[in-house]
Amino acid sequence: MAPLRNVAVVGFAQAPIVTRDERRVATEILYPQVRRALTECGVERDAIDYQVAGSADYVDGRPFGFVAALDVTGSWPPRQDLHLEMDAAFAAYYAWVRMQAGDCDSAIVCGYGKNSEGELERVLNLELDPYYQAPIGLTPTATAALQASAYLARTGTLDRTLAEVAARNRVAGARNPDALLREPATADDLARTPWAVAPLRQGYLAPTGDSAVCLVMAAEGKAEAMCDRPAWIRGLDQRIELQTLGARDLAASAGARLAAEKALAMAGMRTAHEADVVELAAANPAEELILLDALGLATADGGPPINPSGGPLCGHPFMMTGLVRLGEAFRQLAGRAGDHAVPRARIAIAHAAQGHCLQQNLFFVLGAERRWT
Amino acid sequence: MTEPPKEPVRYVETTVHLPYHYVAGDVRARYLAALKEKKILGARCSRTGKVFVPPLVASPESFAPCDELVEVADRGVVTTFCVVNLPVIGRNIEIPYVASSVALDGADISIFALVQECRPEDVRMGMRVEAVWKPDGERQGDHQDIQYFRPTGEPDAPRESFLHRL
Repeated sequence: MAPLRNVAVVGFAQAPIVTRDERRVATEILYPQVRRALTECGVERDAIDYQVAGSADYVDGRPFGFVAALDVTGSWPPRQDLHLEMDAAFAAYYAWVRMQAGDCDSAIVCGYGKNSEGELERVLNLELDPYYQAPIGLTPTATAALQASAYLARTGTLDRTLAEVAARNRVAGARNPDALLREPATADDLARTPWAVAPLRQGYLAPTGDSAVCLVMAAEGKAEAMCDRPAWIRGLDQRIELQTLGARDLAASAGARLAAEKALAMAGMRTAHEADVVELAAANPAEELILLDALGLATADGGPPINPSGGPLCGHPFMMTGLVRLGEAFRQLAGRAGDHAVPRARIAIAHAAQGHCLQQNLFFVLGAERRWT
Repeated sequence: MTEPPKEPVRYVETTVHLPYHYVAGDVRARYLAALKEKKILGARCSRTGKVFVPPLVASPESFAPCDELVEVADRGVVTTFCVVNLPVIGRNIEIPYVASSVALDGADISIFALVQECRPEDVRMGMRVEAVWKPDGERQGDHQDIQYFRPTGEPDAPRESFLHRL
């Protein structure tokens, strides 16, 4: 393919995830993250050309609430701005597109919205078709269980395997200071937790929580001065699947598979096994297995570490969980992952999802080296 | 396809119930608690010194933190206003009434306020007004604690004193 602009992630700040922040509203959690991310890059706000964000007003019940974020993101003098009603990782995708257009060289990408102020299960019911699906009371946990059930039936995967996947995430999360759940759990512990919606147990569900994140991106020529080890975007792709759940094969994710293939090809990789670390926005262990299948990593014979941060199973700040995966991939490549660092990581894959049963999937491939010369 | 039914279903009834539980946040909590004591708090920008009312954690203008809460006066100047002849959703206010921006003494931005105890045609830019509080024991720590603003009878403020606070 024709050479594209090299764009990198150069900074990332995240508020540690908590079940409920009793002392701050969403924008007050966000403000210090924007400051920290810019400080990390050694620049003032005026050095940033573009601002993008992802959030959903229904999450914390503030109609047109995204405009409140402008007051804490340094939006004066008047800025060019884009807001998506999507996980903020998709906003990062658009920042990348914008930089390819060549009219901006740097961007802040923000994710925010207090999960604790509303009832997400009710809100996400409204994401479904209003005539056939929503009125019967389907919630994301119920649809996730439908998908898990389809996957288990198709593959013969056992409950024990789901418990082991969840436990691996929980052990990893104990080393991540930003995680919500920092108590490791064993597969035995988790396999004994009650059913939430069978075949998913309570111990298999990603705990939502309050956080806010700010990621900084910059194009070649600017990125080097903002970060000593930029994480260059080498490939990316996003795909959306049908809204009608019955029209999709829930035992697999065709969208995730295609997005992964395209992103890997763009990065010049033959297989995801060439990655050193993978961060997946999987809200339960069955989703993680489906995504690994989509990436071609669903084999027992090794492969890169999955979710060394503990992943969403150790903290799922809805609408920013995907951007956290991108931030974690950056931390791994930039040598900023602390106790959960994967040694000598050079290639990282980050994934974001939105919608019921992995309806929308986005993959980033990041590398320590530029993709295009 | 067969013909649609002769008596089609014209509507689908859907009830959406979404409860929310808002945290006030430390800054708002202090501001609201102060209203109960007939005090109005603002926050001072650590870079420009500007005072924002109600208080904010950061200056939207300078991006610097506002880490100092300061008390401003419960009186100020009408900067801009309009005369409303349309009924208000959710409030029982006699029309016409005057909706005004009031720059409180000590504040660098104005707040929105009702102006009463005068004829709408007498309200003007630069008019000095003061808060009329609910009586002691009735204030709840919310915005209704200030019932409205009324003229003080002081001489009008010169235009230069408020044109930057519209």
